[in-house]
Amino acid sequence: MELNAILYAAGVMGGLGILFGLILTFASKKFAVPVDERFTLARDAMAGANCGACGYPGCDAYALAVVNGEAAIDLCTPGGQKTLDLLAEIMGQTAEETEQVVARVLCQGETDVVKQRYDYNGPKTCHTAVGLAGGPTMCQWGCVGLGDCVRVCRFDAMKIENGIVVIDEDKCTACGMCVKECPRNVIKLLPKKARVTVRCQSLAAPRDARETCDKACIGCKRCEKACEYDAIHVNNFLALIDPEKCTLCGACVEVCPTKCIEQLP
Amino acid sequence: MNLSFKGGIHPLRELHEGKGKTSSLPIQDLVPEKVCIPVDMHIGAPSAPCVKKGDLVKMGQVIATPVGGIGIPVHASVSGEVISVGPRQMLGKAASTCIEIANDGKDEWAELYPLGSAESAPVDKIVQQVKDAGICGLGGACFPSHIKMMIPDGKSVDTIILNGAECETFLTADHRLMLEEPDRILKGLRVIMRAMNVFFGVVAIENNKPDAIKTMKEAAQGMEGVRVAVLKTKYPQGGEKQLIDAVTKRQVPSGGLPIDAKVVVFNVGTAAAIADAVIEGKPLISRITTVTGAVNTPCNLRIRIGTSFQAAIDAAGGCAEEPGKIFAGGSMTGLCISSTEVSLTKANNGIVVLNQKDAVKQQATPCIRCGRCIDACPSRLNPQYLNVLNEQADLVGMKKHNVMDCTVCGSCSYRCPAKIELSASFKEAKEKITARRV
Repeated sequence: MELNAILYAAGVMGGLGILFGLILTFASKKFAVPVDERFTLARDAMAGANCGACGYPGCDAYALAVVNGEAAIDLCTPGGQKTLDLLAEIMGQTAEETEQVVARVLCQGETDVVKQRYDYNGPKTCHTAVGLAGGPTMCQWGCVGLGDCVRVCRFDAMKIENGIVVIDEDKCTACGMCVKECPRNVIKLLPKKARVTVRCQSLAAPRDARETCDKACIGCKRCEKACEYDAIHVNNFLALIDPEKCTLCGACVEVCPTKCIEQLP
Repeated sequence: MNLSFKGGIHPLRELHEGKGKTSSLPIQDLVPEKVCIPVDMHIGAPSAPCVKKGDLVKMGQVIATPVGGIGIPVHASVSGEVISVGPRQMLGKAASTCIEIANDGKDEWAELYPLGSAESAPVDKIVQQVKDAGICGLGGACFPSHIKMMIPDGKSVDTIILNGAECETFLTADHRLMLEEPDRILKGLRVIMRAMNVFFGVVAIENNKPDAIKTMKEAAQGMEGVRVAVLKTKYPQGGEKQLIDAVTKRQVPSGGLPIDAKVVVFNVGTAAAIADAVIEGKPLISRITTVTGAVNTPCNLRIRIGTSFQAAIDAAGGCAEEPGKIFAGGSMTGLCISSTEVSLTKANNGIVVLNQKDAVKQQATPCIRCGRCIDACPSRLNPQYLNVLNEQADLVGMKKHNVMDCTVCGSCSYRCPAKIELSASFKEAKEKITARRV
C-alpha cells in the first residue's frame, strides 16, 4: 500500500472529525437548554436512592419539583436532616428541625405465638396468602411473615425471623415502601423517640384475641390505669400510646399481662 | 372438525380428565341438617340480611335483600329456624356475614310467583324475575345473570352461548345436568333468547362428553335457531373468551366484555336455574356439585346452597385417606379450603379431595426460557416475560404487557417444566394494579 493512500485517508477522517467537532460545539452553545443550576444542586442534595418515598418517580423528578416550587422540601426521608438543610439553603427557605421517623412492625405474632389457621402451601407472598380464607394466621391484623415488605426494601433494613418481619432501625430511612406494600398494614412510620410501643393491632374481642395470639392486646386497660401521664388509652380493645405525652417511664410495660407493650433501649 | 382456540392444555389426558369416576353416576339429592348461607356469594356488594335469630323461614324465602346496582337477593335453601346471623370465615379475604338455618325437614316452599311457560312468559318481566330469584353465573364466577341479560345502549347481541364445555378437571356436574335434564336447559335458553330478543342459541359441549352431545342434540331437534356445537377437549375451553373464539371465531377485544363480540355466555346450570325461576317461580336454592378424588364413593350431588363441605364429603362416604388438600372447584381453578366447616356457595361446582401424596408441592427452579408457557397461554400473552417483570415488581410494565387480560386459568403454571408459579403471581399483580390504580 502506498503511503499516500494512508495519509489521504487519515487526512479525510481527521478533517471530518474536526468539522463535526466544530458543528457539535456550535450546536451545543446555540441550542443549549438552560438548566436551573439550583436543580443540579438539589439533585446532588438528595439521598439518591430513587426510592419513591417523596411520591415522585425518582430523585430527578423530585428535585425538579422542588426547584419549580411545586413540592415541599421536607419529603426526602432517606436524606433526613442533611438533605433538608441543603435544600433549604438552595431554595432560600428556613429548615425546621424534623422529627426522625422510623418504620415499626406493630405485631409480635411469631410462628409459635400466634395460632395458625392452616398450613399455607401457596406462593410465598403475603398478598396471595392473605387472600386465601383470611390468611394462614388466625389473627387477621397481624404479620403474615412471607416478606412482601422485605422484597421492596431498598436499604436492606428488613428480614424475616421466626415468621415475622424485623426492621433494622439504623438502616431504615423511613421511605415508607414497606408501609405501602403490607397487605395487613402492620408496619407504621413512628417517631424514633417513641421507644415504648404497643406492638399489636388486633381489634378482636378480648376472648378471641387471647385465643388467637399469646402476645395480643386484650384491651384490659391495666396500662391505662398504670400510666400517670394520660398517654395511653384503650379504644376498641386496643391500647394506643400518644408519643407526645409518653415519658418512657415504662409503667405500662410492666403491667401488661400479655407483654404486647414493648420498650426499646 | 371440532371447534377450538389457540393455546391451552390438556390436563390428565390419560385419566379422562379425572372425570371417569363420576361421569356415569346419576345426581343424588343431599338435604343437610343445617345450612350456613353467606350473603356475599355473588360479585357485587354483599346483600343485607333481613331475618334475625329465631325467625322461622320457608324454603325460597328472601333472607337477605340486594344492595347496590348489581346486587341480588339471597334465599333460604331449607325451611326452618334461623339459628344465627353473624360473621364467619369463608373462602374470601375477610369474614362473611352468614345466616345459619336449622332444617326442619318439611321443605315448605314460600309463596312462588311463576311467570308462565318458556314461550308465554311476558318478556319485560323476565329480567326482574331472574334478579329476584337470586341467579348468578353457576360456572364459578357468580356474576349476577340479570346484568348480563340487560344489553347496554349502543351494543347488540346476536348469539347466546350456553357453556357446557366443563373443561375443568374432575368435574361432571354440568355433564350430568345435560344428560338428565336437557329440557330444563333448553327452556332456560329459550327464556334468555326471548328476554334478550336474540335468535341464535348455541349449546357448546366438549367432545369428551359424546352422550351429552347426543342427548342435547336430540332435545334441541326442531327448535328454531338452537344448535349444539362440539368443541375439542382442551382446557380452558370453557373460559368465556376462549369459548366465544371457538364457537363464533370472534375475539373479545383486550379489556372488553363478551358483549363487544355480540355474544353473551351463560353456563348450562344457570340456564336451568333461569328456567326454574321463570316457569316455576323457584329461586336459586340448590346446585349440582361433584364430590370426587380421594373420597370413598365419589358422586354428583344436588346440594342446597349453604351446605357445609363436611356434609358433602360425608355424603360421599368420607375421605378415603388423610386428605392433603381439598379444593372448592376443580383442580385447575379451584381454591383450597382452610376448614371443612366452610359452606358450599352458588359458585361451587365441585369438591376435589387430594391425598397427601398428590398434594405435595413441587419446588420451583429457575426459568429455562423454553417458551412452553407462551404456547399454552390462551390469552396470547407472554407469561415468561411477565414473570421477569413480576420479579422486578414492575407493575407498570406488567400492565403494559397486558397482564390485565390474563384470565388466571393456570395453563402456564401447569405447562411450566420449572414449576414456576406464573399464574398465581399474575393474579396478585392484577389485584395490585386494580387496587393501586397503576
